[in-house]
Amino acid sequence: MPELQSQTRVRPLDELDIGSVVRIDERITGRYRPEFWEQRVGYYLRRDPEASQVAEVDGKVVGFMLGDVRAGEFGLEQPSGWIERLGIDPDFRGRDLGKLLFDALLQHFERAGVTDVRTLVDERESGVAGFFNAMGFAPSSLRALELKVAARGKTA
Amino acid sequence: MNVEQITLPRKYHAAVEHWRRHWMPDYESLLANWDKYFPKDEAFCLCAKLELGTPDLIQIGDQRGEKKRLQPDQLTEEQAKHLLAIIRAQASTEFGSIQQHAGTLHRAADEEDRFWVLRVMAEELRHGYQMFHLLLSQDWDHVSGGVKGEEMVEEILSMQTGSHVLDAFNVEYDSFIDNICFAALVDRVGKYQLTMQKVCAYKPMADSMPPMLREEAFHLAAGVIPLRRWAQRAANGDPLVTMQVIQKSFNKWFPRALEMFGDERGGDTNIKFGFKDMKNREAQDRYVEEVQRMTRDVNSRYLRARFAHATPDKVETVLAELERSRGKHDGVSWDDLIHVPDPRFFRRKGESAWQLVGTQGEAFAGADDYLRHLAQHLPEAYLTTRDMRAYAETLRKVHSGEMSVADAIKKMPKLKRVGGTCPCSRSVRWVMEEPETGAAR
Repeated sequence: MPELQSQTRVRPLDELDIGSVVRIDERITGRYRPEFWEQRVGYYLRRDPEASQVAEVDGKVVGFMLGDVRAGEFGLEQPSGWIERLGIDPDFRGRDLGKLLFDALLQHFERAGVTDVRTLVDERESGVAGFFNAMGFAPSSLRALELKVAARGKTA
Repeated sequence: MNVEQITLPRKYHAAVEHWRRHWMPDYESLLANWDKYFPKDEAFCLCAKLELGTPDLIQIGDQRGEKKRLQPDQLTEEQAKHLLAIIRAQASTEFGSIQQHAGTLHRAADEEDRFWVLRVMAEELRHGYQMFHLLLSQDWDHVSGGVKGEEMVEEILSMQTGSHVLDAFNVEYDSFIDNICFAALVDRVGKYQLTMQKVCAYKPMADSMPPMLREEAFHLAAGVIPLRRWAQRAANGDPLVTMQVIQKSFNKWFPRALEMFGDERGGDTNIKFGFKDMKNREAQDRYVEEVQRMTRDVNSRYLRARFAHATPDKVETVLAELERSRGKHDGVSWDDLIHVPDPRFFRRKGESAWQLVGTQGEAFAGADDYLRHLAQHLPEAYLTTRDMRAYAETLRKVHSGEMSVADAIKKMPKLKRVGGTCPCSRSVRWVMEEPETGAAR
């Protein structure tokens, strides 16, 4: 796809991408959440501004992947790369943008000396789970657990 | 990231800490609240940081391909003098911005905004400390005119708003709006300068840039995110926040920010010496394009709040139409939005210096007409400052033929240090420096 590749660029996220991230999220979820994304983008920019990536097609931001390097999460003292958020404009899916974003993030993690990259996936979102599977992710011995507080109150 | 952290010799470290106690009285509060406002972030370190693993060979200029220089005496005398001036100017901006922020920091209406700016100030302090490391870790005597590192540090720490190297750092803030617009506009120039200097042929300078740039990314966010939120409040009818107030602050800072790139016709020496990878005009043009994108983003946020039920595509169409027609749409006019001033507006340096060009490129017949235009488009509190009075006097002289543009470019009020042993002595007074001779750029 040489012609397609020439129109695509992946680069680190910056503060001027907030509007685009809000727009992509709204296209995916139907919710307009500027305050939420201002907080999240602010968080990633102050922690690790070279990690999170956006994908541009013809100069328009159409995808993003947010992550950083953290240590101490869940007792994992060794620094791990964490991928927290991923969004691709529905009109631009099927162009391998997710893979391009992931490759850029992975390169950053490798430069930072990370040996493990982690994420959490909702099994009900088969598309997201399938994407990470295709990127080489495998189930970990760490399992996500949750407790419904209200339910516990009734049974206690 | 592979970074080496370095602490200055105790005497200099103590001098920076001493300066910090004067100009950042809230510093301890920042550290005490760090985990509340910046959870999970690495603790702040007042130290120099050098990136490891950067290129060893000169990337640009006459000596491209040769090994990067590790000591000032490996540079030519001309190169070393030029670089020393860059380092001193950079150090001046870092400490200068803290002094400016300090003036109105306590007026922040929102604690998060205040702590974000406090963090910016702390990181600017670290950037100044970084420049001191460059000045003190090597011998610059052969190009400093006999001025020792110790004296250079004292000189920089004694500068105040009015005596800094660049004009943008000699203008006081009028309100917390200035803290935010400064971060969005002036720190953005800082990002360009640091990015250009990543290639620097003097390796310690090049290695200083990546850690500084990583911190600068948040400084820009600390400007843009509050601007976006204010635009929403203005759109929702908050009587305390208006787009016009933001616009006036843009008009105040944008011209000074452009001048930080140096004269549009210059920058060849930086490339020839391998210190930067862009000439002044190219960098300035890219900056203007980026400010236009930022302004459009803030306007888009404003319109989305004004037309809460409109789709994103509809808001985009309305914004494009308002930009094209400069008219009105459903109660919102083009005048309600923020505009990037014409790059020739209110300039004191560069190829448009002292011209009578309005915010939107309008021409004016005389200095007094132009000053009335400025009075309408600059923050009210700024109009009665010493800076504006000196500007008006000089403008009148230029346009009455009493003073040349070249002399006017050099003539602005400076604070001159007249004594005191404390490195952050306030024993200074206003004096008008005599214009220096020499080239205008």
